[in-house]
Amino acid sequence: MNRYSRRQVLRFGGAGVAGVVLAACGKQANVPESENVVSVGVAPSKVTLPNVEVNDVVLLRTAASLEFNAIDTYEAALGLGVFTGAFAAAGDIAKRLRDDHKGHAEAINGLITKLGGTPFTCGNPRINEVYIAPALELITATDNENPALDVVVLAHALENLAAQTYQGVVTMLGDKALRQAAIGIGQDEARHAAVLAQALNPGLSGILPSVNPDTGKANVAAVPSAFGPLTPINVTVGPVQADGSRVSLILETPSLNSLAYDSVSCG
Amino acid sequence: MMIPSATTPPSTADVALLAFGNGAELAARDLYAVAAGLSAFSEEEKTVLVGFHDHHRAAAQALAGLVGSDAPNVREDAVYNAFRSRLDGSDKSAIYDALRELENTLVATHTSLVGTLDGTAGSALVASIITTQARHAAILALVAGRALNDALVNSATALTPGTN
Repeated sequence: MNRYSRRQVLRFGGAGVAGVVLAACGKQANVPESENVVSVGVAPSKVTLPNVEVNDVVLLRTAASLEFNAIDTYEAALGLGVFTGAFAAAGDIAKRLRDDHKGHAEAINGLITKLGGTPFTCGNPRINEVYIAPALELITATDNENPALDVVVLAHALENLAAQTYQGVVTMLGDKALRQAAIGIGQDEARHAAVLAQALNPGLSGILPSVNPDTGKANVAAVPSAFGPLTPINVTVGPVQADGSRVSLILETPSLNSLAYDSVSCG
Repeated sequence: MMIPSATTPPSTADVALLAFGNGAELAARDLYAVAAGLSAFSEEEKTVLVGFHDHHRAAAQALAGLVGSDAPNVREDAVYNAFRSRLDGSDKSAIYDALRELENTLVATHTSLVGTLDGTAGSALVASIITTQARHAAILALVAGRALNDALVNSATALTPGTN
């Protein structure tokens, strides 16, 4: 009978365990090789994110994308056929503002081309996904009692968003001439917002900030403050829900996850 | 939420431009004070005029804060004198038109400044003034009963610091 010392038993046992582990890590029949780090289960293939830079071209492409968001929204609103009767004038305003946005988009894309960038010719996909599409879905719900009014509410919010975006990019654009061009368009958007605010809350009482005494909430104001704000924009649209409330969306100006980087395309 | 970016302080050249803006805003403040004192306007109309007056005062104060001890804090008389004679009588629409031209002139002037200022602290402040005063101009067109195009288009010429 062979006799093994305690040390020999441990040595042979360890080698055996190591062999089993190595065998498990090695090639096996009928199992495809993977470049991934060894792991349990099937790991997804690696996706490499593109290297992106926030530069003047990206900021201008983002501005252009918002112009197309506005154009698309006005087109959708006009297509709903809700601008009749008391809202007929709002339809004329919508056409004019849509055309202004077309001019802005052309001007911005002209600047992008001059800088050697690729023009952006569609709406910002992220803004559309999180703000505009949900809002339009609420507005066009069959049980929404006043889609025409809600369309104006959405347009007013988008004009404020555009004005804020142009105002905000002034400090980020490196080229001073581009800053001037941006705020030149931003002041147009601010005018649009003021005109639409008067459509929502007409007359002298709708110009400066005020509060609805019944609800305690702020009324729409054409000139809401002494300085252009850069704050989130609240939009309440759609049908009245079972609890008596309506859905509110909070709009914010584009940030890192919604810029029109070079790698973002309209295709 | 926009991406935060560090602002840069006004350069030496910026100080003179922002100081001019300070004086122009004080001129607008004084012109609104004249308009709000006219008997042609109702109390509700005067409330709006005083509100716009306060916005120009706030803009002047903010610009002075950025300029510091070099801020003139004195109205730009050339701007004041260019509009003062039109703020008279009982034709409210004509007075609103004069004030709209004043606002459009300030918007054009400030927009020009944004293209000249070196420091982004100055351009950020001026940009926030521009979007408010553009709203003033649009509203003044509407209350005067003018066409939509008059509310949306600015055909005013920018003032040039030191030459007006």
